Amino acid sequence: MIAKFQARLPRPTPWLGWLAFLSLFLVAGAIGGVLVLWKGLSITNLTDLVPWGLWITIDLSSIALAAGAFSLCAAVYLIGLKRYQPIARTATFVGLIGYSMAMLCLFMDIGRPFKFYQALMYWNTHSLLWEVTMCIILYFTVLLLESLPIIANWEWLRSRFPKLTGKMTHVHHYAPYLAIVGLFLSSLHQSSLGAAYGVLKARPFWYKPEMSVLFMLSAIIGGISLTLFVSMLSSRLTSKARINDGLIERLSHFVGWALVGYFYWRFWDTLSMTYTYEPGRTEGLQLLTTGPLAFNFWIGEMLLGIVIPMILLLNSKTRLNPFWRMAALLMVVGGLVAYRWDINLAGALIVLSYLPGQPTVSYTSYTPSLVEWAIGLGVIAYGFLAFSLGVRYLRVVDHRLTEEEEHETVKVNATEPVTI
Amino acid sequence: MTDNKMHRRDFLKIAAVGVATVAGARAMGKAEASSGGEKGPHQWAMVIDQAKCQGCNYCTLACRARNDVSPDISWNVVLPAGEIGGHQVFLPRPCMHCEKAPCVEVCMVGASYYRPDGIVMMDYDKCIGCRYCEVACPYQARSFNWEAFEGPNPAIPEWGQAEIARRPRGVPEKCSFCYQRIDRGMALGLTPGVDPDATPACVMVCPTGARIFGDLNDPESEVSKLVHSRHTVRLREDLGTAPRVYYLMADAEDFEEVGS
Repeated sequence: MIAKFQARLPRPTPWLGWLAFLSLFLVAGAIGGVLVLWKGLSITNLTDLVPWGLWITIDLSSIALAAGAFSLCAAVYLIGLKRYQPIARTATFVGLIGYSMAMLCLFMDIGRPFKFYQALMYWNTHSLLWEVTMCIILYFTVLLLESLPIIANWEWLRSRFPKLTGKMTHVHHYAPYLAIVGLFLSSLHQSSLGAAYGVLKARPFWYKPEMSVLFMLSAIIGGISLTLFVSMLSSRLTSKARINDGLIERLSHFVGWALVGYFYWRFWDTLSMTYTYEPGRTEGLQLLTTGPLAFNFWIGEMLLGIVIPMILLLNSKTRLNPFWRMAALLMVVGGLVAYRWDINLAGALIVLSYLPGQPTVSYTSYTPSLVEWAIGLGVIAYGFLAFSLGVRYLRVVDHRLTEEEEHETVKVNATEPVTI
Repeated sequence: MTDNKMHRRDFLKIAAVGVATVAGARAMGKAEASSGGEKGPHQWAMVIDQAKCQGCNYCTLACRARNDVSPDISWNVVLPAGEIGGHQVFLPRPCMHCEKAPCVEVCMVGASYYRPDGIVMMDYDKCIGCRYCEVACPYQARSFNWEAFEGPNPAIPEWGQAEIARRPRGVPEKCSFCYQRIDRGMALGLTPGVDPDATPACVMVCPTGARIFGDLNDPESEVSKLVHSRHTVRLREDLGTAPRVYYLMADAEDFEEVGS
């Protein structure tokens, strides 16, 4: 009797617990969002001197961490590394979530959110942000198309609209073309996000050509790392996710070597700023190396973001150990977020005088307000929720599938005896 | 299989048309927004004589009234700029109206633009509030409307009446050389810089005559004469922005004359 009664109650499963946990942040984020739309950006801690803060960091990071989609799709469909197709599929879905997170965050960040469509109406082709906007909109469309075959996996949709899902699955035939367009658009805007800072002559800490290269490189590394990490994590948490550990291990090895390249660039980038004095630039570097951002820089970016994961992923013993591999991949992701945060702030916190004579430097400060955190964490929670639903209902992490199995064959129930 | 190939061909066609459209539109956009903008018959400029500035802030207040600017914001600030020979000197800073304005170049929607007469204008309707211009401006000439400016303007009516509409919440605003006074004055046949009604409010109100306004294209204008005969300084000239605000820098001699 009691057992029967208990069965009717919704059992507190880990899945429901996870949803409840995420919804806390989602509700807080929604409240924050309503507050900002109602009261305006005055309730944030952004100022005329630091007009871009936490939200820009989240926005830049989620776009960068979505870069696994274009890099792996290019690897699979253009370079011909076909066996990584199942991982590219996961990366595509992660990418779709990343870009939607970025757009959500930007919607909160701009002063006139309900006029966002004007970014498409009025063009200033000189502006890097114009180019970034165009690329993001077009690439989001590409990601949507690339994700149609994934969404077609939704059992509910499949049972009700089999013809539609059949057509959605068919889009997969255009994957190579979409990969070309995706590579083109991503190469443009992933770099341009760095260049958006790099062209500002008034901000010496940002004003340098390598910003675009560093943004692009770190995005490819961080994007692939996030895809691999969430794949491994979900495979440990739910039986709905199945990974091919061999493929992940090989890609992790690639990430390890890519980190070596990134470290090289970052080293020379930092060193070249160290031995010359330019008002504002040297001070920006000091903010990173000895100032308030020093912990982020040395520990978050350098040690945990590059050096330790590089060692862990290049050393075959630790790479073959799932725990250390996951830890390393997570560190890379954290390092990327720290890099975006540090770069944005180190440039913005420096206030350069414009009075006649040698420019003098003063400093300002920025700490995100509660509402900024609420919305920022809400956007991140949305990302987690969307991915979790994808894993559960769309088999987003199923690396045993091959292209043919996924799209050409009918479902086979293994428990039924096979009659010949 | 053949059916499939047709699809691919169609897809490529659509893609090609898309790329061509973007490229064509881009070429059109470029023709429209050439760097520096079209140059008209007038090129407005301002000369600020630092030796005459007393730091009274009348210019800031007149600007606030005429342009209906919130008390939290200043389009035109007067900064302390150190001491010369025991005298406190000041540096008034309006928008520099750069010939190569970083704010215009970076604005994604083209809300900041060059007028043919050299004024760097804001189209507040186009602006979406991304604040890239604020980040790009070397002179901190832009102030963002973090909140809506509501209620009466404390600078009105003492310092003048509002001549333009208030800007909405969520856009960065800045000095426009009082374009409304210039345009209306020109329509009435007045000469900006000579007739007070056609001259920016800050120039008109300055009790010591520290600000001079006029047309650089007119060799007889006061600004042309000063720019060509005296040594003038423009702020952060190293950046190549080519501001249209020129400064006559104060030196110790200026104050000796005043003292004797």
